[in-house]
This record gives sequence, C-alpha cells and structure tokens, in this order.
Amino acid sequence: MTHSTLWLAQLQFFSGLGFMLLFVALELGLAWALLFFRIKALTTGLAGWTDAYRFWVRVFALAFLLSFAAGLSALIQFGSLWPGLMAKIGDVAAPMLAAAIALTFVFKAGFLGAMLFGARRLSGRLHTVMVGSVALGSTLSAFFLLAVVSWTHTPSGAWLVNGHYIVIDAWQVLFNPALPWYGALFATTAGMIVAASMMAVVSGQAARNPAGPAYRLVFRTAMLTACVSGVLFLVAAGGTARLAAQYQPAKAAAVAGYWQSSTRPDFAVLAWPDAAAAANRGAWVWRGHGARLLASDDAGQWRGLDQFSGMNPPVALTFWSFRLMIVLAALTAILSAVTWLRLRRNHYDPAVLPPLWRRVITAAGYSSWLLPVCALAYIQLGAFPYAVYGTITLTEVLAPASAPALVFGNVLYALCYVALLIGFFMNLRYISRYGVVPVGRRRRT
Amino acid sequence: MIDTLSGALGLGAHEASFWIPLVLAILLFLTTAAAVVLDGFDIGVGCLLPFASPSLRLHMVSLLSPWRDANEFWLFLGLGLLLSAFPHAWGAIMGALYMPLSLLGAGVLLRSASFELRLRSPLEWQPAWVAAFAVGSWLTAASHGFILARVVTAYAHGVPYTALAVFFSVCALAAYSLLGATWLIMRQAGELRARAVMWARRTVRWVAAGGVAVSLVLGVLNSGVLLKWGNTSGWFPVVALWSVLLACFVFLEMLLQRMVNHSPPITVLPFILTVLILLLLLSGLAYSFFPYLILDDITVWDAVVSTPALRLVLFAAAVVVSVALVFNIWVYWGMFGASRPTQPPPFSGFG
Repeated sequence: MTHSTLWLAQLQFFSGLGFMLLFVALELGLAWALLFFRIKALTTGLAGWTDAYRFWVRVFALAFLLSFAAGLSALIQFGSLWPGLMAKIGDVAAPMLAAAIALTFVFKAGFLGAMLFGARRLSGRLHTVMVGSVALGSTLSAFFLLAVVSWTHTPSGAWLVNGHYIVIDAWQVLFNPALPWYGALFATTAGMIVAASMMAVVSGQAARNPAGPAYRLVFRTAMLTACVSGVLFLVAAGGTARLAAQYQPAKAAAVAGYWQSSTRPDFAVLAWPDAAAAANRGAWVWRGHGARLLASDDAGQWRGLDQFSGMNPPVALTFWSFRLMIVLAALTAILSAVTWLRLRRNHYDPAVLPPLWRRVITAAGYSSWLLPVCALAYIQLGAFPYAVYGTITLTEVLAPASAPALVFGNVLYALCYVALLIGFFMNLRYISRYGVVPVGRRRRT
Repeated sequence: MIDTLSGALGLGAHEASFWIPLVLAILLFLTTAAAVVLDGFDIGVGCLLPFASPSLRLHMVSLLSPWRDANEFWLFLGLGLLLSAFPHAWGAIMGALYMPLSLLGAGVLLRSASFELRLRSPLEWQPAWVAAFAVGSWLTAASHGFILARVVTAYAHGVPYTALAVFFSVCALAAYSLLGATWLIMRQAGELRARAVMWARRTVRWVAAGGVAVSLVLGVLNSGVLLKWGNTSGWFPVVALWSVLLACFVFLEMLLQRMVNHSPPITVLPFILTVLILLLLLSGLAYSFFPYLILDDITVWDAVVSTPALRLVLFAAAVVVSVALVFNIWVYWGMFGASRPTQPPPFSGFG
C-alpha cells in the first residue's frame, strides 16, 4: 500500500469499472423492467403501462449508450493499466471476452435500433420480442463479463504453467465457484438501483401530476422490486462473504476486522480498523459469533490478518464498504416495505405521500447509486494485491507508467466521469419534470 | 508466398495454428482501415466544430447522426479483436502507451456520451454538449497520432521521439479534419460546402507532410522495413504506392482549388481521394509491418493464444463479421452524395 503508482493505477481502474458498472446495472435492470411493462401493456391493455414504457425507454436508451461508452473506455484502461495480465490469462479470458464483445455488438447492432426507433413500424408483439431480445442480449453479455471477473477471484479449471494459465476444464472455468454469488450480487444490485431510482422519480412526478395513469403502476412495481431485491441482496452478500471465507482468506479476515490469529473470533459490527496498530478502535462487537465469516486453516485455527502481512487488502476500505452496502440495501428494502404498507389502502398512489416521505424516497434513490460502487469496492479492492487470486499479483502486470502520468490520467478520467454523471442527472431531472425531449434521429441520405 | 510463410514457421499451410492467426490479422487490418475511414469522418467533423459558427455547429453534428451507432463500433471491435486474438501483443503494445491511451479513452468516452446527451437535451444545454463533443474529438485525433508515432518508432523514449509524437498528433488532426471536411463537401451544399472547401485546403499539406514523415521514420529507424522496401524483386508495390499517393495529393489540391468559387459536378471526388490516401498509407504500414505486430519482436503467430481457444475466438469473430457486413451495408448504403431531408411517414388512413 505504500507503492503509490500501484495505488493510482488501482484507483483509476476502480473508478472506470465503477462508472461502467453504474450504467450497466441501470440499463440491465431497465431492460427487464421495460419488457415487463410491454408484456403488461399487451395483456392488460391499460394505457398506463404504455405510458410507463414510453417514459422509461428514454432513460434506458441514455443509460445503454452511456454504458457502452463507459465500457469502451474501461476496455482501453484495462489495456493501458494492466498490460501483462492478458498474456498470462489469455487462454482463459480471451474466448469469454470475445463472446461478451460479440454479443454486445450483435444485440446492439441488430435489436436496439428496432426497439428504440421501430415501435411504429412493428406490431405490438414483434416489438415486445425485440425488447426481450435486447434484455436477453444485455444479460448474456454481462454474464460473460461476470464470468471473467469471478474467474480471476476463484481461478478454477486452469493450471498455471510457465507463467501463464492453460485451460483444463472449460466448464469449470466458466462456472467457477464465485460466479453464482457474484451474479446474484450484480443482479440484485441492478434491481435495487432501478427500483430506487424509479421510486424517486415517480413519486416526484405523481406529486406534480396526480392524474397520470402510469405512476401508480410503476410505483407499485418499483416498491415490490426494491423489497425483493433488497432481501436477495442481503442473501447474496452473505453468500459472497462465505465464498471469501473459503477462497479469499485475507479478504474474509479484513471484512471481519480480525487481526490476531489466535484470539476468539468476535463479529465486529462497527469499528475503526487501524492498520498501524493492527487492532480495531472503538469496536462494537458481537462476542463469539465471528466464526462464520472467517477462514480456517487445516488445524482448525482461524486465520487473522497477521498471517497475510504485506499481502492483505486495504482493511478499513473493505470493512466499511461491506457494511455500507449491507446498510444501504437493508434501509432501502425497509423503506419500500413501509411505503408499501402505507399505500395499500390508497391503491399504491404515490401522490398521497407527504413531502417529507417523498424526500426520504428521493434520498434513497440517490443512495442506491452508491450501492454498486460499494459492492465493487468490497469485491475488487478487497482482492488486492492479487490480479488472479492467490497466483498473479497486480504488481507483476502493472504498466510501466510514472506517477505524474498516472495522476494526469486519473484527473482526466475523473473530470469526464463527473461531467457525464452531472449531465445524466440533469437530463433525468429535466425529463421527469417537463417531459421527454423528442429525438429526431433518422436523417438517412 | 503462403508456402514460404508456413515453411518458415515449420507448419503446414492447412494447419489451424497457421491460417487462423493469418485470418485474424487480416481481419484486424480491415477493422483498423474501417475505423480510420468511417470513424474518421466522425472525428473529423468533431475536430472542425470549433472553426464553425454556432448555428452551423448544430447542423454539422446532426448530419453525423444516422451513422453514429455504426461508427463508434469500429474502435470497439478493433480493440476487442486485438485483446481476444493477440493477447501477448496486446500487453506489449498497450503497456508502452499509457499516456496516449488515457487521452484516447477520455476522448472516446466524451465523444460518444456527449453526442447522445446532446441529442436528448433541451436546446439551452446543447451547445455545451457540442463543445464537449469537439473536445473529445480533438483528444481522440491527437491520441491516434501519438499512438502512430510510438508504434513506428518501436516505443522508443526521449525528447526527439516526444517531439515527433506531437508532430504526428498535429498531422493526425489534419488528416481527420481533411476527411471530415471532404465528407461535408459531399453532404451539404451552400455555406457549409464553401467553408468545408477552405478547411480542406488548409489541411491537405499537413496530411502530405505527415504521410512523408511516417514513411521516412519507418524506413530510417527500422532496418528490416527498409530492407523490405529496397528489395529489388519487390520494388513494384512500393513505387506504385508512392506514385498513386502523390497523384492523389496533387489531384486533390487541384480539385479543392477549383472548388473555391463553384461547386464541382462530382462532389464525391474529394472524399474518395482522401479515403484512398488514408487507405494507401494504412496499407503501406500493414505491408511494412507484416508479419510483425511489434517490429522485430513479436509476430502474428507469437501473439496468439493456444489453438483451442483460438478456434472459439475465430467463431466469435465470424459471427461478428457476418452481422457487421449485413448491418454496415444497410447503414452506409445511402451515405455517398448529398444529404436529403427526411420525408414524413406515409399516412395510411384513419382505419
């Protein structure tokens, strides 16, 4: 952690991945939500569902295009920051990355145009099939990306021979132990960010325009999704923690704040881990219950952070990002459940909510954007200093760039991300207040 | 020639470990050529935006919109192909290019995102996004020149090489601006065409200087390349390329001079000449580099993954190429010639 170029590179890569993850989660969740709206419009025939589709497809289009731009930028950053990695894991990662890229291309070139601009020409059913294809394509592409990332955390099915990996069992490579839990975490994060954003936007819209037909329907869907996603997120987080206990003992010890190997494992609910003193300051512990989160060695003794000195992740960051994501998800799920109970007798109409309640919902909507960032910090930064856990470290594959160059790169990208995030939020606020801006795109020949 | 190549590697010409990397290398070249030409006019129009009046800027950007989706894919496909097919070269190439790649990543991000945000913003905010689009285009063009400089000097470091990289950045900006300006000449008559002619006239000589500089640097700094050019049995392609290049530049200058006061009968010609110039330069580069991806260091066959993984990558590439062919023929069909405004959709009655 004293190696500043490594940290700058890690920070830049984390910010690039985080920016991409926000919009990928948003567009994936919205794609499935839009499919749900279209199917409901076809089966029930209520005008509100079509209205909802027409508004949220604008948000989806912007999120999709931003996620594509961010993905391209993340690919370039991956190449410029960790150039040695592909030479080592090329056999394993190349087919999966090729699949992800090919799927993105095929579904974006083929079906996205039809979905966004072809609604007038296609029949209702055919258009719904297009929407479903886009959702499916996004999911498959995200699946392969997740497979690559989770393989680097639990490298199964491949052997390290002469400094690079060769594939032994392709199924084990693709369906590695981390994939189900990381996939569940990602899916529930997507559900939460979409549901919380929908609740925040729609509650404001309904208060300004109580007679809108779509708001009730969208709000009910969003509340349900938030509750279910929140609960499933907590389950997935627990599963990820157990996975870390099994395969990533340093990360597990960091999350638990367990410094000395011989002591009784207490579960530190809240604490300030101090790396210099190798202890927790001001800890509020739950005595004796820390065992489930920790890894144990062959003799049955719990492995603390002192066993990994020099090779442990940033303890305070891992510790707090895990707790922050749990707290955010739990609070959002509780808020949705309470709102559900409150609105049951009003047919789920968000216009009757008092202004303070709406402000809390808006705050929950903004905080849901923190959720993917925290989850990524826990997963990615918690795997420090490894690029492939247990075998290849980041230092081996780092690009030979100087610290001033890395600072320049960091600042440049950070400015772009901030500008684009502000632009996205300003756009979202504008269209939620004043309606969508008509997009007149096709000016062929 | 195929037999000499396969013999030199000790493989049969029908073996998968011989022909799959060759096919993927050809695909990489084609994708790079498409990216330079098709994404190029997009970058070019973006680079020219600061030199246009504010009302003209919105119009220029709107002219780009039908091909935006297709254009921004080429860089993505090229990088994806390099990443998945040639991972050993990927590391060596990208590792030495941190600074230009940061500029490229930021430029690409800004371009793609600000185009879409402009399209969906109210009129008050559109000039800000157009400015961001212009900044992104400048960053992208400059980074392309930088990368070219690093690639042809085999990633050497030092003050003269940095000065060369800066010079190549300016030439790349000029090249993309020329492509954008000649595209605009083709698309729209009136004030835009008149201005585009002036922009094109100012950039032609910078492009010529850049072309000469690339050839000089490549030949002088790399003895292997000079040997290949000077090979007495292989002189014809080299001389032919330079003669055609010279002819194109001269013809282009003449055309642009005549276009100052009246529109030409064939508006497509400057654009086609510029495309031909850029393709010739790229072909020259590819001819000089083959079979190396990194000069005198890593060949195409050194850089690939093992054969089973390679088959999967070829399969993905085949899928992408088929979809790309269909999609791009459909999209770029109507691109040549003047832009016509859209007609309202046919009304089929109230029933």
